[in-house]
Amino acid sequence: MLPNRSRLSVLVFLLPPLLLYGVAVLFPIMQSLFLSFFSWNGISDMEFVGLANYVRMLTADDIFWRSFFNALGYLAICLVLQLGGALVVASLLTSMRRGRDLIKTLYLLPAVISTVAIAFLFVRIYSIEPVGLLNQLLHWIGLGALERPWLSDINTVLAAVSAPEGWRFTGLYMLILYAALLSVPQELEEAARLDGASRWQLFTKIRFPHIMPVWITTTIMATTYGLRGFDIPYLMTNGGPGQSSELLTTYMYKTAFTSTDFGYASTIAVFIVVECLVAVGLILFMLKRKADA
Amino acid sequence: MTAPAAPVTRPMTVSAPPPSQPPSRRRPKPSLHGTLSKVIIALIVIVQVYPLAWLFITSLRTEHDFATGDPFALPKAITFENYARAFETGNLGMNILNSFIVTMGANVLIVLLGMMAAYALQVLGFRFSKFVRGLFLIGIIVPVQIALVPLFIDYATINLLDTYQSMIIPLAGFALPMSIYLFCSFFEYIPRETYEAASLDGAGPYRIFGLITLPLSLNTVVTVVLVNSIFIWNDFIFANTFVLSEGLKTIPLGLQNYIGAMGKTDWTATFAAVCVTITPLLLVFLVLNKAMIQGLESGATKG
Repeated sequence: MLPNRSRLSVLVFLLPPLLLYGVAVLFPIMQSLFLSFFSWNGISDMEFVGLANYVRMLTADDIFWRSFFNALGYLAICLVLQLGGALVVASLLTSMRRGRDLIKTLYLLPAVISTVAIAFLFVRIYSIEPVGLLNQLLHWIGLGALERPWLSDINTVLAAVSAPEGWRFTGLYMLILYAALLSVPQELEEAARLDGASRWQLFTKIRFPHIMPVWITTTIMATTYGLRGFDIPYLMTNGGPGQSSELLTTYMYKTAFTSTDFGYASTIAVFIVVECLVAVGLILFMLKRKADA
Repeated sequence: MTAPAAPVTRPMTVSAPPPSQPPSRRRPKPSLHGTLSKVIIALIVIVQVYPLAWLFITSLRTEHDFATGDPFALPKAITFENYARAFETGNLGMNILNSFIVTMGANVLIVLLGMMAAYALQVLGFRFSKFVRGLFLIGIIVPVQIALVPLFIDYATINLLDTYQSMIIPLAGFALPMSIYLFCSFFEYIPRETYEAASLDGAGPYRIFGLITLPLSLNTVVTVVLVNSIFIWNDFIFANTFVLSEGLKTIPLGLQNYIGAMGKTDWTATFAAVCVTITPLLLVFLVLNKAMIQGLESGATKG
């Protein structure tokens, strides 16, 4: 604390940021919660319906549940690509001597590109007419039987819209995990190596436990970002064909701005927030239990 | 240019692995494991980078080549026609200008207000600072989608729909928490004695902010601006929700409209437009990536 600060100076510095934050973030959150108890299309009078929106969402809306499970699938694919892929590359990178900065930069490149551009790019990669990269590659390696229009096949579309999101942020998590791996004390690794630990043991017994706090941070980041994923599925398929790539976020968006059902859309939005909070809580709980065991 | 020094100036324990390996290990024989990991890394890098290279290569292809050729092949002839068509049909220049205005506006707010909040929280300190930190934490966890409907309604009420502000306000608001966090963790490393000495010389909180904290944080400003610019420059959801008129569309929206405007998708021109629009950010990133990578690494590994 500064010795001669005044209460006024605290307010001068704190109020403007709080004001912007309140207007843009805090107040809308309260408003969403409020709106979720109403039925409103934006034009007619607002009608208080109590918990009816919540009841409808949880018991009578098949699309909601479909979107919910799709969102979980989307999350799973993103997590495997982002955290799994990132961890593999990060640990391999620690044993490399040259070119690390170059690889870090190249790897981070997709994170700089807009989701709209990525959506365009992947629509072409998946396309079958004219043949895109993926189908051509399958053809070459003799898996021509797997060629298909990935985005209009209801069995593959969810995976196809999830992969680009995973792809674009792998580099970001790799960077964070890599920095954490470098901070593992060398003496510890040397000692384990002298005791005859294999590479795998070295990784599971020394390195991974050491980066646990960072791993928790990245898992939480990747999970909350995965649950709010929107742009790429919305742009690539708009939830289709049918509802086979509909996520809670795209469903909420359409409910709000296509069906102009503001009350019900707010209910879904509140659910997405609750889902994020529950996910963070679950991750902390599971990892803590594992650490204690 | 001199590389923008580490944005967080505390000595980092993670900087480099010790170069002094035991002599026997200095020139390791190419082991199977080493070769294998290099191959895996190379493969993954190709998967990460090749699609972007392909994007660029395709933008130089003729339409006929694109429709009939092997997608992996190099173009038979290089053409810049796609770029000419991209500029003719789209509003690329205006889109870029709009993105520039929004990114600048949001960044000014984020840097200025983020620094002020961090100064109040970390340097001045006050009784409810824990509570205020908690309030800001909400903004990191909560998805932006929660704000779309309420902001849309509020903007409609006060006639703010379809303005630059309608994009700048939520973009800055949601970016603020992370930036405050970054500034706070930097301010932690400004020695207490510096402030005490300045106070003894009679400097009040405003002068200390302007003459000590602000000038010392310039490197952190670079990190904050860079990280936020990537998200703001590429924002789709706020722009798509709050902006309707052609003249205010930012790059992501401009790209999206491209297809509709031409009836059928002109892919080579679209790819050319994508290349044009990602170039400014890509250049900035390639020049400043060291500063950004260090900022991200040191910010996150604090755990």
